[in-house]
Amino acid sequence: MAEPIIRVEGLKWKYEGSRDWVLKGVDLEIHQGEFVGIVGPNDSGKTTLAMSLNGLVPNNYPGVMEGRVVVDGMDTREHSVAEIAESVGFVFPDPESQFLSMTVEEEVVFALENRGLPREEIEERMWWALELTNIPEDYLEKPPYELSGGEKQRVAIASVLAMRPKIIVLDEPTSMLDPIGKTEVIEVLTEMKRRYNATVIVIEHRLEDIAPLADKMVLVYRGTIPKVAPPREFFQDVDFLLEHDVFPPDVMVLANELRRRGLYDGPVPMTVDEAESIVRGILGRR
Amino acid sequence: MGEAVRVDHISYVYPDGTVGLKEAALTIQEGEFLAFIGQNGSGKTTLSKNISGLLKPTTGDVWVFGRNTREAPMSELATLVGYIFQNPDHQLFNQTVYDEIAYGPRNLKLPEEEVEERVTEAMRIVGLDESYREEHPFFLSKGLRQRVAIASILAMRPKVIIVDEPTTGQDFKQSIDIMDFLTMLNREHGHTIIIITHDMPIVAKYAERTVAMADGRILLDGPTREVFAQAEALAQANIKPPQITRLAQRLGDLGIPPNVLSIEEMADLIESALKGRE
Repeated sequence: MAEPIIRVEGLKWKYEGSRDWVLKGVDLEIHQGEFVGIVGPNDSGKTTLAMSLNGLVPNNYPGVMEGRVVVDGMDTREHSVAEIAESVGFVFPDPESQFLSMTVEEEVVFALENRGLPREEIEERMWWALELTNIPEDYLEKPPYELSGGEKQRVAIASVLAMRPKIIVLDEPTSMLDPIGKTEVIEVLTEMKRRYNATVIVIEHRLEDIAPLADKMVLVYRGTIPKVAPPREFFQDVDFLLEHDVFPPDVMVLANELRRRGLYDGPVPMTVDEAESIVRGILGRR
Repeated sequence: MGEAVRVDHISYVYPDGTVGLKEAALTIQEGEFLAFIGQNGSGKTTLSKNISGLLKPTTGDVWVFGRNTREAPMSELATLVGYIFQNPDHQLFNQTVYDEIAYGPRNLKLPEEEVEERVTEAMRIVGLDESYREEHPFFLSKGLRQRVAIASILAMRPKVIIVDEPTTGQDFKQSIDIMDFLTMLNREHGHTIIIITHDMPIVAKYAERTVAMADGRILLDGPTREVFAQAEALAQANIKPPQITRLAQRLGDLGIPPNVLSIEEMADLIESALKGRE
């Protein structure tokens, strides 16, 4: 197998002034093109792990680090956040926190202009990013703050996509949005998975939506990574996830309950469609 | 138990001309546990703020324990209905946890002795340790700030408590903790609880009655089980019932009813359908 694009080795991290390690020696490998879902309860270290992938940890936060993180060949302790940003794009939970410009167009091209790319290439990348995030042309002149929550987050994602980073990290991109906005952003993630061969890493509580998209699921719990597996394997042990404060989608918990009652002994379903087939299979028996 | 709230065909138009509510009517009995659901802009927050007296209806009347919200002073309404904002930071502004929780009771001009008693009680109910009394709310974790916000409302001892998005940004376990706490206030202390939420599994698990809103109107109002069974009406309002309910709604031909609310219930139905065939 090819060298992983991200390698986290024995990473320990403690913010200055905090007593305990936030990450207690975690290992993780992510390969080029993988779509990775990171889950786990709040305050377990998910965001710190995400920030260690683009070098914000340790470069922009005071603290103590042990172990190492290598991203696209760069040891994050030996490269600046700006250098690492050439390879890693980052999307925050609150889209407003990252807006810098007065119009959607300026927002999407801002970083490209800063890099001094030729006008043609800037245009081409902008249209590509807008299309992928389903932002209509007549939005270009709008101020970002006039958009709905879901639209804002799509603009934030478009401005990161326009940089064509090899790796995109999204930290709870739907947590501040209403259901329509959440659905819009999940659709963008689905398009990214389908059409953009980047490495995508998403921290997300909406397991129902992430499970069918992910190639690999990572559980972060109290500063450790107790489980890494493809979704079908990751969700098989429902009780293990519940013990780690992760509540799998209803249909998975149902399959687990049916197993417990001796009515079913197959794998847990990833979607409502699969659950429907399972129930039909059980009740179709004579 | 008597009538707590009567919303009598109210409309609400915001100062910029936006119509927030059209002809909304509902009655809430003391001791109920309700959820208001609907997309952003559907009117659920506008309705809640009219119930709490933070907004006054443009036409029609809101009665809270027999008092018209247009006529009763805010200091009195605050003892009847408390409104807990989604972001605790929108309501916290004092220098210490104690002063924050004491702010409302002091505004009621209660003697300091009773203020102290109410603060102590509120802190105990929300599970805030005494050692936090002199802390600055700003330096507490979000979960603790939320508890301070709830305690500051509880100290007013309002009979009706409205909580805006109690589970947003919370993980699974934190959500359960908050909702179990509201259930305790409802069952043991007799508070009427209204949650405003997008979190349908939470509605299915905790709310006895659900009011679904769309375009400033009340679309559906009834026992949660009956509301979630109306798949078509909910789809019009862009509301997706919980995953387990959606599964049940595809299995009508196998005798599974469209109003299943829990995993346990679904498993029971499958088990008894199997037994029925043996």
